[in-house]
Amino acid sequence: MAKVEEVPGSSTRNEPALEHPWNVVVHNDPVNLMVYVTLVFRKVFGFSREKAESHMLEVHHKGRSIVWSGAREQAEFYVQQLHSHLLLATIEHGES
Amino acid sequence: MEFYSVLGNRLGMREVPPLLAGLMRQIPGLFERDNDAAEERLFPSPTQDPHEQGLREDWKAHVEPELHTLFLSARQVVEADLRGFQESEGGYTLEFPAAHAESWLNALNQARICLAAQHNLDEVELSQSGPLTILSERDLAKLQIHFFAALQQWLVEVLDVA
Repeated sequence: MAKVEEVPGSSTRNEPALEHPWNVVVHNDPVNLMVYVTLVFRKVFGFSREKAESHMLEVHHKGRSIVWSGAREQAEFYVQQLHSHLLLATIEHGES
Repeated sequence: MEFYSVLGNRLGMREVPPLLAGLMRQIPGLFERDNDAAEERLFPSPTQDPHEQGLREDWKAHVEPELHTLFLSARQVVEADLRGFQESEGGYTLEFPAAHAESWLNALNQARICLAAQHNLDEVELSQSGPLTILSERDLAKLQIHFFAALQQWLVEVLDVA
């Protein structure tokens, strides 16, 4: 199971490579079950149950959630993982 | 209908009514390559940025074929498991290895996505409880989607405990 470190904005400001990180965004869709989305977040990112549920609820209520930020190559890898579980996910450039 | 597990390494369901057994047997065949809406949802773009055409092209060339293979593999696992349906007094019984749960979840998701696309079911319809009457193929598709969701719920619980 892939585990990643969180890259909160404040901790990356002094790292040039991650100054403008790429975000992995999960979008709401009417088909995937909430419990399934939570399970996938835990499996792909190694999130705790609480954190996975928090992101799932953000997707459900706000339509999208940034679930990971960091280097582009890794972001693309995570999007591929999420697509393999049939979640709607995209990468986008983080704001400066 | 009852779900059960056998010593943690096999999963099963017993007393499955014939109608529901029939709906389950359709899972592998619900995937349609020529349904644009389903195809778009099963293989979404990795970006919404119009300037990322290169990423879209790379994704189509390299990632989508891998996803096609993965999804086909999941459907084939389920198709093989479904051959194990046995008729008994109270309905049908089906058992399969617990290690196949991930493939089942994936194939059920594919089936639900394809059904929703084929019948243009929107978010409101999908969030409602199952239809009270079955008067059309669309109603049957809604029933099938909700039944498959119940199967997924059970499988998620199984994987969550494991």
